[in-house]
Amino acid sequence: MRLALVVLAAALAAGELRAQALHPTGSASLVTARVRSEVPAGIDQFTGSAFLGQGALAMGRVELSASYLQGTLNHEGGSVAGRDLVEGTVLLGVRALQWLTLEGGPHARAYTLAGSTQRWLFWELRARAATTFVGSAAQGYAELWRAVAADANVPEPFDHAQGGEVGMILRMARAPLSARVGYRIDHAVLGGGTRLETVDGVVVGVGLDWR
Amino acid sequence: MRRYLTRLAVLAWALSAAPDRLAAQSSDTLFATGVRAYKNLEFDLAAWLLRREVAQLTTAGAPVAERTQALVYLGAADLFRGRRDSAAVVFRRLVTLDPRYRPDRLVFPPEVTSLFDAVRLQTKTVMVEVPRDTTIGPGHGTFDIWLIASSFQTVDVTLRYTDGAPFRPLYAGPIGDSANVQWDGLDAAGSLAPVSRVLLRVTSRAQTGELAGIVQVPLDLRQSRPDTLPWPSPPADAQFLPERAKSGTATRSLVGGLLLSGAVTALPAVVGGSDTPSGPRAAVAGAIGLAGLLGYVLHRPGRPLTANVRANQTLRDAWQRRVAATTAENARRRRDIGLVVHAGEPTAIQPRGP
Repeated sequence: MRLALVVLAAALAAGELRAQALHPTGSASLVTARVRSEVPAGIDQFTGSAFLGQGALAMGRVELSASYLQGTLNHEGGSVAGRDLVEGTVLLGVRALQWLTLEGGPHARAYTLAGSTQRWLFWELRARAATTFVGSAAQGYAELWRAVAADANVPEPFDHAQGGEVGMILRMARAPLSARVGYRIDHAVLGGGTRLETVDGVVVGVGLDWR
Repeated sequence: MRRYLTRLAVLAWALSAAPDRLAAQSSDTLFATGVRAYKNLEFDLAAWLLRREVAQLTTAGAPVAERTQALVYLGAADLFRGRRDSAAVVFRRLVTLDPRYRPDRLVFPPEVTSLFDAVRLQTKTVMVEVPRDTTIGPGHGTFDIWLIASSFQTVDVTLRYTDGAPFRPLYAGPIGDSANVQWDGLDAAGSLAPVSRVLLRVTSRAQTGELAGIVQVPLDLRQSRPDTLPWPSPPADAQFLPERAKSGTATRSLVGGLLLSGAVTALPAVVGGSDTPSGPRAAVAGAIGLAGLLGYVLHRPGRPLTANVRANQTLRDAWQRRVAATTAENARRRRDIGLVVHAGEPTAIQPRGP
C-alpha cells in the first residue's frame, strides 16, 4: 500500500519536476487541543494548548509537507495526571487541480503517560481543497483524511480513523505573511467501537509564504 | 544679274521636276542652301530659299530659335537685294517673334544690324513668360509674369474674364527691357473668385498712345483643397475597464463565508466525532462568516472602482487630445486653399501684319 502511494504520487508528478522553482512555506500556530478517550470503563477528557509548526516545500505540482505538534494536556476532572502530546506528519502530495491537493503519508501521535508512552501511527490519505473567497486576501480551505492503515499500542484492534480541518488563511497584500484560523478534528474507532479516540481543537497561527 | 536668273530658273526647274525628293530634304538642308547662297552673294536665290524655309518652319511650328535664324538671313538677303521695306517687314516679324533677339554683329554687317535696331525701336511688342503649371496661395502667394519688351513702350497688364470684362488690373505703365508683374490669385475685390478661366492680356502702346499690339495668355484656374483627416475613432468598449464593482466578488465572499462556516460546524458530524464542544467551532465559524460578510461589504455591487475610473479617464483624455489635434489640423487645411494655375499658349494680336 505504501509503495503504491509513492508510485501514484510519482506518476502524477512526472514531467513537472523539471525546471520548477522550489516554493517553501512555513507557519507556526497555537492549538487549543482537546483529547477525548471513550472506553467501556469511562471517559477521559484532556485539554490544553500545544505548539504546531508546519512547513512545506513545493516544486511544480509536487509538495512535501511536514508538521510537528507538542503540548501538555490536563485532565478536565483533575483526578488523572496530565499527558504530554506529541504529533507529527510527513506527507507527499500532488496538486491534482488548481484548488485540489491529494496527499498521503504517515501520521504519528504519542501520549506520554506516567511510566509509559502510548503510540499511534496512521497511514493517511488526504484531500485538501483551497480557494479564495474574499478577493485575493482570504483563502478558505477544507481538508479531509482517512487512515488506510494504523498501528497503536493499545489493547483494542484498530477499526478505522478519519479527520478533517476547515479554516481560513488571510494573506497580506505586500508581504509574504499570512494569518490562519481553523478548526481540526480527528476520530479513531478501535475494537469495533469499544474505544473511541477524538482529538479536536482550534488552530490560530501565522505563516510565511516565500513566492 | 542674268547669270543669277539663269541659276534661279535651273533651280526652279529642278525643284518642280523632283518635288518629292525636295520635300524629303530636311529643313536644315534648305536653310543651309539659302545661307550658302547668301554667303555667295546670290541674294535672290537666298531670299527665295529662306522665304520658303520660313514658311515651312511656321507651318510646322518649329522652335523660335530656328525661325529667328531663318528670318534674320532672309531680312539681310532682302536688304542686299535692295528691298529695304521687305527687309523691315521681315525684321519686324522677327522682333515680334522674339523681342530679345539681337543679330550677331560678327556675322551681319552694320547695314543689317542698323536696320534691325531701327525696326526694333519702332516695333512695340512684348513677350509674356509665365510658369506653365503652378499653385499659389490666394492672397499670400504670387503668380510671376515676366514681360520682355522689344523696346521702350507703355503696357497695360490686365486679367480679364473670358468675355473680355475686366477681372483684375495688374500693371499699367512704361517698360524698358523687362518687368516682373505679380498676381496674388485674387480678383479686383480682393476675394477668391469662383472662375475656371481668365485671360492675361498685355497691351503694348507706342509713346503716342497708339495701340501697337496685344499678347493674350489663357489661364485655367482650379481651387485645390487638401483632404481633411478623419476623426479618430473613440476607444472601443472592450478597452474600458468596469468602473463599478460587479456582484460576483461580493456574492462569492458571502456565499464562501457561509459555506466555510457551515463546514466548520458540520465537520465533527462528517468525521464521526461526537460530543465535541461547540464553543471553539462557533468561534472559528463566526470568524470566517464575519470575514465573508466584510468581504461582501468591501466588494459590494456598484462600488466605484477608483483605479479603473482613473484608467478609463486617461483613455478618454488621450482620445480627446487626438480629436483636438485633428480638429486643429483640419481647420488649418480648410484655410490652406491653393489656386492651381495652368497657362495656355500665348497668342499675339498685331494691328498691322508684316
